[in-house]
Amino acid sequence: MCVLCGEFVMQVHWTDQASDDSSQVIVGDQQRDRQRTRIHRTTLCNEILRFYQLTLEEWNGSKFILRDPKGNQEIVHDLGTLWYTAEKILGYAIDPLDPYLLQKLQNK
Amino acid sequence: MNNIYKTPITVVTGCLGSGKTTLLRKLLKKPELEKTAVIVNEFGQVGLDHHLLRKTDETTILLKGGCICCNNREDLENELKSLLNLDQKQEKFNRVIIETTGMADPAPILFTVLTNPILQHHFYIECVITTVDAKNGLLHIKNNPELLKQVTVADKIILTKTDITPPNQKEGVIEQLRIINPAVDIIEVVNGDADVGIIEANSNRPSIDSMFEKKDKKINKNHYSSDIQSISFTFNKPLDWTAFGLWLSALLHANGENIMRVKGLLDVGEKGPIVLNGVQHIIHPPDHLNEWPEGEKQSHLIFILRVIDPDSIYKSLKTFQNFLGSDFELLELNKAL
Repeated sequence: MCVLCGEFVMQVHWTDQASDDSSQVIVGDQQRDRQRTRIHRTTLCNEILRFYQLTLEEWNGSKFILRDPKGNQEIVHDLGTLWYTAEKILGYAIDPLDPYLLQKLQNK
Repeated sequence: MNNIYKTPITVVTGCLGSGKTTLLRKLLKKPELEKTAVIVNEFGQVGLDHHLLRKTDETTILLKGGCICCNNREDLENELKSLLNLDQKQEKFNRVIIETTGMADPAPILFTVLTNPILQHHFYIECVITTVDAKNGLLHIKNNPELLKQVTVADKIILTKTDITPPNQKEGVIEQLRIINPAVDIIEVVNGDADVGIIEANSNRPSIDSMFEKKDKKINKNHYSSDIQSISFTFNKPLDWTAFGLWLSALLHANGENIMRVKGLLDVGEKGPIVLNGVQHIIHPPDHLNEWPEGEKQSHLIFILRVIDPDSIYKSLKTFQNFLGSDFELLELNKAL
């Protein structure tokens, strides 16, 4: 359970699985690495989301916030829910096979 | 996350009469499998005799807005939970075998085990076995779309009844199975006399190797599986795991129903590779290995697709990796059409 938003987190998304699965974890041990990965992920996501006029913001190391230019915003927990939420806001799914998106990415 | 503390599950699928029960009956007599719990969906002609045997009636809960793979098998959920109770009370077991009906789609089983809040911490799917009748295999593939699905999801295919099949017919079936799922291990078994190890997963390496042995491109002339295609990549540079995860999760969100299988061994710049294994929308928790298996350090990735053009996958991956600043060098591209 997330203490900030009350969301019940039942699933660790496969992109969040850490390489080190040692049974003992010291509090705050991998905090920097984790945060670095999250910021890197946010930057990469924004590169793609920009074509759909959406922005993603990393929020306090616990959630992401997805916004559109009209001011709609949604709390997103991981990449699994990001694409789902983006589809909800846009009305269609972001498809990496979309030739139009690929062309835009190539021209950049 | 760590599978050491979880109970492995082996899923056995296959057409009606393809030898699932015969295989299990022989296997369960072996002393190594004494502590194995078995869940069956139907009692076939050949009865199973085992002290930890349970029967369920297939009930699938259709989740709201879910696709065909993302459905919960409530019967299995209940059965596995009661097995868990049993395990903690008295009867200890160290493996579960689920025998499905001939018509069952294995994807909801994987979905149930991987997403259920309780089950995901106590069980993991180690191996999916599909039995294929060598004598009638081609006919089954042609007539049963379920079998096609079972073959794409399988980690191992057990080719049965090879003793009563002419060699050229057997070769035909093997060739067809290789076209549908290039990354699968095909094992011939007569009368269910198989090694116990058959129900365990071998490391993903051999199966990935075997798909690269088949360099010669095959043209699929059979009309019945012409919409199933596969594409495999080999890279020699490490991929950016974050960028790759971004791409694959978006791809699966938009096209998951038509991506029958993703399998790969990926170099992401860590000490060991990541083993990736996915079925439609469902991705097994990626396994970060501590070291590379013997041989050279190369990433392999294979997609089995339905309807989607393999070229578009290649183009998309290339564009995304370029764009996200982690260029990769493609060594090989195999397409089985």
